[in-house]
Amino acid sequence: MGSFKLGKMTFKSLFGKPETIQYPAEQKTPPPGLKGHVVNDVESCILCGICMKRCPCAAIEVDKPARTWSINRFRCVQCGTCVRECPKQCLTMEPTYTPPATEKRLDSYEVPEREKKAAAQEA
Amino acid sequence: MGKATVIPFGPQHPVLPEPLHLDLVVEDETVIEAVPQIGFIHRGLEKLVETRDYNQFIYVAERICGICAFGHSMGYAETVEKLMGVEIPERAEYLRVIWHELSRVHSHVLWMGLAADAFGYESLFMHCWRLRERVLDIFEKTTGGRVIFSVVKVGGVVRDIDDAMFAEIKRVLEGIKDDYRQLCNAFLKDSSVKNRTVGVGVISHEDALAMSMVGPFARASNVNNDARCLGNGGYGKLADFQPVLDGQGDCYARVKVRALEVLQSIDIIEEMIAKIPAGDIVVDVKGSPAAGAEAANVVEQPRGECYYYARGNGSKYLERMRMRTPTSQNLAGMATALAGCDLADVNMIVLTIDPCISCTER
Amino acid sequence: MTLETTFVPLTVEELPALAAAKKADGWRFVQILAVNTEEGIDLIYSFMKDNLLENREIKAIQKGAVVPSITDQFLEAFVFENETHDLFGVNIQGIAIDFGGNFYALAQKEPMTIISPEQKAAREKAKKVAAAKAAKEKAAAAANAAYKAEHPTPKEPGEPIVPTGDDDAELKLAGADPEKVARARAAIAAKAKKAAEGAAQEQKDAALEEKLAGMDPDKAAKVRAAMEAKAAREAAAAEKEGE
Repeated sequence: MGSFKLGKMTFKSLFGKPETIQYPAEQKTPPPGLKGHVVNDVESCILCGICMKRCPCAAIEVDKPARTWSINRFRCVQCGTCVRECPKQCLTMEPTYTPPATEKRLDSYEVPEREKKAAAQEA
Repeated sequence: MGKATVIPFGPQHPVLPEPLHLDLVVEDETVIEAVPQIGFIHRGLEKLVETRDYNQFIYVAERICGICAFGHSMGYAETVEKLMGVEIPERAEYLRVIWHELSRVHSHVLWMGLAADAFGYESLFMHCWRLRERVLDIFEKTTGGRVIFSVVKVGGVVRDIDDAMFAEIKRVLEGIKDDYRQLCNAFLKDSSVKNRTVGVGVISHEDALAMSMVGPFARASNVNNDARCLGNGGYGKLADFQPVLDGQGDCYARVKVRALEVLQSIDIIEEMIAKIPAGDIVVDVKGSPAAGAEAANVVEQPRGECYYYARGNGSKYLERMRMRTPTSQNLAGMATALAGCDLADVNMIVLTIDPCISCTER
Repeated sequence: MTLETTFVPLTVEELPALAAAKKADGWRFVQILAVNTEEGIDLIYSFMKDNLLENREIKAIQKGAVVPSITDQFLEAFVFENETHDLFGVNIQGIAIDFGGNFYALAQKEPMTIISPEQKAAREKAKKVAAAKAAKEKAAAAANAAYKAEHPTPKEPGEPIVPTGDDDAELKLAGADPEKVARARAAIAAKAKKAAEGAAQEQKDAALEEKLAGMDPDKAAKVRAAMEAKAAREAAAAEKEGE
């Protein structure tokens, strides 16, 4: 009988540290390129709406008259298309996941008015 | 002779890995006939191509299956590139092959864990999946996702891997080789595993050819068909590629073929890393597919050969996109393998075709 | 060896003979797929041998037409034939394992043949754009031919009539909002009108100059003074309108 085929592995795992972590008390540090959630730098956003057109899940809504940019984080599949297509590079993907929640919601952000170039030149 | 009873097996059963329904006609613990039925998770993904343009549909194609996700996105992108006559840069081809072979490693190791669980060896299952975590960590660092990568685009890939990352990939793969050889030993040399797998579910070479089986399921019956030999994309740059074959045709042979394919994939990855050229990773694709243009393509996924067909209609929406997955091809083979086996071996045989029902009925 | 794919047409009557021939020759069966088109349903049967992938297409099968099954030669085709029957409503006879329409548990019958109203609208729009483009190209080609016919011996190579930037803009508009289309079309029309008016004015001036050159110097001077006064009045009126 008994040649312990997994003997070496089992013996090592008696003295090594466990493979699992005590989540949620400990959290794994995410690697830098992780696709977690989308963040908009509203200072540079021009409300062109390209991100809304390219999103495959219709998760982004851009309302130009009301100057808001909203995202439904639970519809988003973190594909990164909006980040790549934005002409002003104001969208980025942060490496932390959206925390679980009990109801769906739309995250809206106000986009402030961009100062006209003329006003900047005058000043 | 005993009376024949019909036992319904699945779609929900503790040992069944996939939502497949089997009507087993049983006489005294021996299965005489098995009639498979699918259709429990049909999501109508092929119809979605009419409302998502060809750039957005790649994210739908990826989500057909969690295990073969990269294979589907790569196959879809290659088919649309063929349809529109786009040539992608060489570096993108190499990167796609590297990710696809890593996908194969993770899929086969996952399968080996499930096979161990199917005959009750749960600690071996846990060890296999612990090894798989190393591969998923590589995916996380290079693509940003563990299971669904979203890194392929029609026209190339969107993320690059630098040399430091390549060195780390090589280091991780060397690191898992030693542990992996111990697991292979446990699968192939352990007498209790052999009792459960040798001589079970035999499919002869003639039957395998008659039923056009694909993938490791067929290669275990000495059918030499591997779509990687066709040299699509980066696979044409491999120095020498011979598919892993075995002549026995039983469950043991299928385990052996998959175990050896992992080692072969690690060798392919190292070869590709050594040969990868510098350059762009994506070309801009403008316009839409021409009306009436058609393209067909095959890709060797971990489970077998997958066929893709695309037809354009002049607008940015494709007229038809079809993915024929290897499991749908192997269902007839599975039904034949089940005839004449013991009732206790049913889930072992179902598992050795590596079913992926979410691929089969998109 | 590289993959070669071919698409070859086929008819329903040839199908059983084809299946038998492929089986005898050692070809491997790959798949059956169906495409829902306006003329009917296209069926594509694929076979593979070594590195040649052959796709045989049966075009435009009408509703109710009977297609024989190939499961007598290739048993594994039953999956695809059942699927085609359930999703597209193709009547395939003689499937070895026939689920009778219950292979997929669907909420609607033949869902792949259903086209939603939004898609119908999108397809109509795409067709209109394509038709407009085709008509424009035809008109341009005809005008080009007519010009060439009228001027058989061109003194200098005349500019061929090519679609200018305006036409591209108009095509883009054809695919956009109707409001935007109307506004942009109005702007283009106004621009064209102004250009035409300017050209007409210039033509009138040129004709007048010719006439004046052939008249008495006295009369010519009087006419010229009257013309200038009229021009000044018109300019003043235009300025008032512009404000």
